[in-house]
Amino acid sequence: MKSWLLGAACAALVFVSGCGSQSGDSSGNGLSLVVIPKGTTHEFWKSIHAGAIKAKQELEAAGQPVKIIWKGPLKEDDRDEQIKVVENFIARGVDGIVLAPLDDKALVRPVETAGKADISVVIIDSGLQTDNYASFVATDNTLGGRMGGAHLGKLLGGKGSVLLLRYAVGSASTTKREQGFLDEMKENFPGIKVLSSDQYAGATRDLAYTASQNLLSRYGNEVNGIFCPNESVTVSMTKAVRDIGKAGGMVKIIGFDTSVQSLRDLKSGDVAGLVVQNPVKMGYLGVMTLVENLGGKAVDKRIDTGVALITSENMSEPDMQELLNPPLEKYLGTGN
Amino acid sequence: MNFPSLGSRDFLKAIRPFAGLFVVLLLFALDGELRSLFFKGSNFKMILTQTVIVAIGAMGMTMVIVSGGIDLSAGSVVALCSVVTARLIEQGHGLAAVLTLAVLTGGLAGLANGGIITTVRMMPFIVTLGMMGIARGISKWLANNQTVNPESCCGADLCRCPGFSMESVSQFMAYEWSPTFFPLPDGVWLALGLAVVMAVVLRSTVFGRYVFAIGSNEDTARLCGIRVNLNKVAIYALAGAFFGLAGVMQFSRLTQGDPSVAIGLELQIIAAVVIGGASLSGGAGSIPGSVIGAFMMACLANGSGIKDWPNYMQEIIIGVVIILAVGMDKVEPFIQRLFKRPSSPN
Repeated sequence: MKSWLLGAACAALVFVSGCGSQSGDSSGNGLSLVVIPKGTTHEFWKSIHAGAIKAKQELEAAGQPVKIIWKGPLKEDDRDEQIKVVENFIARGVDGIVLAPLDDKALVRPVETAGKADISVVIIDSGLQTDNYASFVATDNTLGGRMGGAHLGKLLGGKGSVLLLRYAVGSASTTKREQGFLDEMKENFPGIKVLSSDQYAGATRDLAYTASQNLLSRYGNEVNGIFCPNESVTVSMTKAVRDIGKAGGMVKIIGFDTSVQSLRDLKSGDVAGLVVQNPVKMGYLGVMTLVENLGGKAVDKRIDTGVALITSENMSEPDMQELLNPPLEKYLGTGN
Repeated sequence: MNFPSLGSRDFLKAIRPFAGLFVVLLLFALDGELRSLFFKGSNFKMILTQTVIVAIGAMGMTMVIVSGGIDLSAGSVVALCSVVTARLIEQGHGLAAVLTLAVLTGGLAGLANGGIITTVRMMPFIVTLGMMGIARGISKWLANNQTVNPESCCGADLCRCPGFSMESVSQFMAYEWSPTFFPLPDGVWLALGLAVVMAVVLRSTVFGRYVFAIGSNEDTARLCGIRVNLNKVAIYALAGAFFGLAGVMQFSRLTQGDPSVAIGLELQIIAAVVIGGASLSGGAGSIPGSVIGAFMMACLANGSGIKDWPNYMQEIIIGVVIILAVGMDKVEPFIQRLFKRPSSPN
């Protein structure tokens, strides 16, 4: 009996502690949609969230009430956790799901299950090996790679030697960027020699730094330009180039995505250009497409959210500023 | 061992995990939103499916913990066996061969753990910590640092060949949405069946009683003529086999072998066992308790999800539950004294 009482007390405590943070809104007659990112802490996902909220505000202004639930996996980069999140929302019976799959294979079954339960799914950011979704809203990564390659080729005047440090084995989006870069070099800049394109940086900044140092110790004297397919590689490679005293434009570095550090490097001239995606637009179009699909409208199976090249010259233009510093507070509130 | 009589302290201890689960469900039922969304057949089916991996792991871990040991390599062994499963399927082995070999791989890892612990007389914590790294490393090596994706359909002809086991293995944990509780995935039935078998083994067989004896007092057990080392090796090997089976289930859930899966799973498994009433100093614990512990954690996670509590809240809640579940041991005698005091003066 006493143990039972204690159990009750403990659970009550747990319950109360949880209640404090509950939002308390119930889904009325509007659509309830869930947006599931790969993780929640990255700046990139916050921008996606802001885009989703932007869509919600516009839809509500147009007389279509929606409830956006924002829920990432408990442990980031854990496929099993993301599957759980998707399943939980299927069981809960939401109207639609916007999903950024952590893996193009592991998330196939949950998405197909959602289809069977008559829940519409829009995939954003990364691809999925199935056709059972309404639409795929993402950056054209091959185009992004080509854009970076074209800029680098132009900066080098069509001659010299370049390096490509790949990101990680099995990452679909960065592989496409790398391929786009190599295609551009091969087709439009035959005078440029690619010194190395088979080295992988690895998933963390620390690994990328080591890989960059190793690559530069071999090719540091002859390299003129470097392409980096993501944010961690860009920052680490720039740091390694600075170490050997070739920063400030002696070696032209083209990076992908932005962070506080890579923007600093762009401003100081260590980085020649950054290819950036448009995550706010991705979140926005993800929700908009889903709502259109739920309304019975036909939607395109593939929607491109665009890429842009940012250099130190154009980075102060208002368009670029909006990409670089998305107005997150406007949508997410200052608390986020 | 005789069953504890109703109302005794042992009995209270045995039903504690059930009481805890009951209280959690009761509190969920008090909340309007949860009542309508949580207590649905389809939702419970999903929670059960999500519990399978931790529950199967917890059965092995219960034995180890009851015997006074610990196995930190559980998560890594699960990952290793999920990769082994994927590789075996890729090579076209049949269902029986895949299952047997994957479980054996886990058993082998456990055998190595037990062997080193007993022959070199090292702390289980250290040995299994080492195995955690070794198994994780081997799984990444086997998988070439990537995920292993056996084709779900290797061409129209091969697909029908009876030896091809991808479909049957990935069916174990296929959560098919339906508004009703049944049909449950095979993995759930398998876990329930194993739980019953293991509960009987641990409770009523000689081996099971040896496990408790070793955990209660190893020296006494040795003096009583129990072959402690042999039994310990068997315990770790058997536990490893369970982690191997959990690995097959993990493969089935992801439909791919992922060497980076189940990081930190060992801690979830240990938490389930501890919530289920086991003592880390050995000699106490039960299979039903551990399974209920695993189920309770899945319920809490699911409930938090439905309530839209942020992730950090969920982590805090489960942390609090673990501490409370174990703290109960220390608090209970204290409370009992408080309750007894008014009646004792005479």
